Amino acid sequence: MHKNFYVLSLLVILSMILTACGGTTTQAPAATEPAAPGATEPPAHAATEPPAPEGPKVLISTFLGPGDVPTIDPAVVQDVNGTQITDEAFGGVTHLNEVTNLIEPGMAESWDAVDNADGTQTITFHLRDDVPWVRWNGTDVETVKTCDGSADRIVTANDFAYGIYRNQLPANASPYAYLLGFVLKGAADFSSGTTEDFSTVGVNVVDDQTLELTFIDQVAYNPQIAGLWVAYAQPKWIIEGDCEGGVEARGERWIEPGFFQSYGPFTLKDWVHDDYISIVKNPFWPGSDAIPQPKLDEVVFRILDESAQLADYEAGNIDNVITPPLSDLDRIKADPALGAELSVSPQFCTYYYGFNTKAPVVDDVRVRRALSMAVDRQSLIDNVTKGGQEPAQWFARPGLAGSPTMADHPDLGIKYDPEAAKAELQSYLDEKGVTADSLDLSLQYNTSAGHQAIAETIQQMWKDTLGVNVKLVNQEFAVHLDSVKSRDTPQIYRLAWCLDYPDANNFDRENNAVNGSQNPAENGEPYGGFNWKNEEYEALVLEAAKETDPARRVELYAEAEDISIVQDAIMIPLYWYTDLDLTKPYVVRTYSSTGKQAFEKWDILPH
Amino acid sequence: MGRYIIRRLLYMLVVVLVVSMITFLLMHAVPGGPFTQEKTLPEETIRILNERYHLDEPLYVQYASYLYAVFIPHFTATPPSTSYQDDFLLNVNIGPLWIRWMNFGPSYKARGRTVNDIFRDNLPISAQLGVMSLFIALLIGMPLGIMSALKQNTALDYFGMGVAIFGVSVPVIVLGPIFIWIFGIELKWLPPTGWTAKPPFFLGFLPSSLNWEFFQHALMPSVALGLGSSAVIARLTRATLLQTIREDYIRTARSKGLHERVIITRHAMKNSLIPVVTVLGPLFAALVTGTFVTELIFGIPGMGKYFVTSITNRDYPVIMGTILLYAVFLVLANLAVDITYAYLDPRIRYD
Repeated sequence: MHKNFYVLSLLVILSMILTACGGTTTQAPAATEPAAPGATEPPAHAATEPPAPEGPKVLISTFLGPGDVPTIDPAVVQDVNGTQITDEAFGGVTHLNEVTNLIEPGMAESWDAVDNADGTQTITFHLRDDVPWVRWNGTDVETVKTCDGSADRIVTANDFAYGIYRNQLPANASPYAYLLGFVLKGAADFSSGTTEDFSTVGVNVVDDQTLELTFIDQVAYNPQIAGLWVAYAQPKWIIEGDCEGGVEARGERWIEPGFFQSYGPFTLKDWVHDDYISIVKNPFWPGSDAIPQPKLDEVVFRILDESAQLADYEAGNIDNVITPPLSDLDRIKADPALGAELSVSPQFCTYYYGFNTKAPVVDDVRVRRALSMAVDRQSLIDNVTKGGQEPAQWFARPGLAGSPTMADHPDLGIKYDPEAAKAELQSYLDEKGVTADSLDLSLQYNTSAGHQAIAETIQQMWKDTLGVNVKLVNQEFAVHLDSVKSRDTPQIYRLAWCLDYPDANNFDRENNAVNGSQNPAENGEPYGGFNWKNEEYEALVLEAAKETDPARRVELYAEAEDISIVQDAIMIPLYWYTDLDLTKPYVVRTYSSTGKQAFEKWDILPH
Repeated sequence: MGRYIIRRLLYMLVVVLVVSMITFLLMHAVPGGPFTQEKTLPEETIRILNERYHLDEPLYVQYASYLYAVFIPHFTATPPSTSYQDDFLLNVNIGPLWIRWMNFGPSYKARGRTVNDIFRDNLPISAQLGVMSLFIALLIGMPLGIMSALKQNTALDYFGMGVAIFGVSVPVIVLGPIFIWIFGIELKWLPPTGWTAKPPFFLGFLPSSLNWEFFQHALMPSVALGLGSSAVIARLTRATLLQTIREDYIRTARSKGLHERVIITRHAMKNSLIPVVTVLGPLFAALVTGTFVTELIFGIPGMGKYFVTSITNRDYPVIMGTILLYAVFLVLANLAVDITYAYLDPRIRYD
């Protein structure tokens, strides 16, 4: 025993000495050669420490874990965290102001739209010529040089065309390829593989600074979609190789630290999977009114569960928490210091209960309307969800382009009205000759404590107001999703819809209309989801999409909402999401309503 | 002993194969696929994704190609490419020939990672946490158990067993936040979340610098996790030690005049270690492959969450990879336990 103990302790001490000799190695590769010629090793990661007050301005923010950011390749990125990174590292031809939701110049200083005779629209974007491609080389940000090393690579229209090509390429199987497929001429055929000729797609590079995009319809939101991440410029040389082998082709792995190249206000510095991802200021970004030069030097996004986020925030290690846990909200609001740091901003999602309008019992619109009017949404928000959400009277959240707002349409849609609900249901019961408690109704939601609390509350509201007994069924998320879009869609089910781009078209048409996400159809006839077809609604949303006068668009969408929410009551809109943020008082920031922040406008004061 | 080990390793291969088949069938039997989303993907996109990951082929073809990718070494002249579907754990280059082995596949959910990336980046961190919490479990559990056994039915015994009951009843999901609140937020002695060791690792799994900051981050999670296992170890040690010190040979040793300390550590402990070691095997496998709750609470980028999230995401390669990894660790841990038996008790012989 003694001998073994000594041997063991000697081994332990030896291993400690060896690892101490290993140490933290930070090697910066020679920064004198053009972008990674033949280099196979990325620079070693340097440990990031919390900053000293006089040092570089580093903001520690958070992403909601568990689960890493899946990818930051603009061609295939899908989730909100990934698009947050790509929005900061790249930029589209147009830029969306995160507070006002209005279109601003992005990489294009100006653009002109021309309506063609065949119903299409061609927009010519005039790009800036002073934005270089940059990368992080291990110690600082440097520009990417051309093959002979003489000049910087500048972002050109070719890069944007390549970006669209990569997004639409069937081999890349991009989850958002359909977005351009809806609007860009020829894109749907290319991305589905019907044609392999990219020249049939409406993308035309006139010269280095002029890009022409041809859109299928003459609609108002074309410039908006052209500025989304699906059409960001991408660096062809690092993806496919260049300079006769001088630049190694990285293929899908070009987004890894050490190889990532971008041009926006920030660029990728470090990505330790599941731990954090950090972006560093790009000093070569020329800055514009819409997208200024960042004041922060670095932003670190730590990937943590919401309770862990709050714990580290209270310990002083994190500057900005993006999702405080719901269970702590009461305590945060009551605390004077924390309560002042809490901010509530609108988020573009709607939480709703949908109906299968052909299922038994709910196939009668009176039952659906009664159930919808019997929900006290404000009480639900005050007592159950507690997140400062807004009771939803209709589906397309106010703030989207074309969406009616509470200010100009205060009585649009559906409100809590127990008397009217009882009257509606009574007329149904009298006609069928049954009683309320004999109705066979069930509500399905995906398993989660939050959804369960809401479902139980609404179940109780229906029982108290209408006297109906609704059964609750919960299913695991993927099973639930399969079920609510199938031919056996349950009578009532829980869902939510969040924006892809800030336009009411994304809500009212792309979710509700025939062939929409929640109204799957075959040969024009719906078979699942809402299972609903209303010719007047279809005509309204189509016309609203093409309408260019903003005021008229709002009226058209208001009429459409009246049909879907009140006249046909295909769903019960419950609440419009809000974003809760905790920010330290020494952080100067803007509050985005798109769900993604503009970190180039943030600052940290000395503290 | 050598032949015994080789035989056990061959059994391990059979076990792993059976586990892989059952897991494969189960995961394809569950409704929902990897591309089911709230915002329905267009049919075209789903078709292309299924083609890309060979999910449109019949099940036996998918299973056979998975076995081929994972178990059979590939001999090829083409050097490794940067595609995510071409990531092998072992790449040996002999002249123009490349020998490549163990491609567990790409992750469907995280487009930028492969299962091998998860093994390389996240498994070492889980292993570090697991080994340290096991160490703490032994450090707390064994002395506690020995003390309780020697001073049976005294205050010390009740204290020891009280701690054991506490450790077993209070799960990490309660203990963790309490520790964070006391030591992280109120006293601010230790950082509440994070793990300083990050890739690249020394020797592939050790932290590249064992400094004070590393232990600051590692202390709370290791103790929170280790306390539960220490309780089990304490009770087991106490129970077997109580039995052993009543044996005849202990009485002989005492009558011979040996020091009490020598009797306990040299004679009694060795014989009472067998049940403890039995438990340590599966415990090691469970801790080292990652614990979901601890890693979630303390923000540790380990492998634990992949066991859980891969199933909700229907991320087939990650499911198969994590389960096979766990199976291998478990079988190897049990093998180590069996070999330790032979060392602890010379009466146990393997042919």
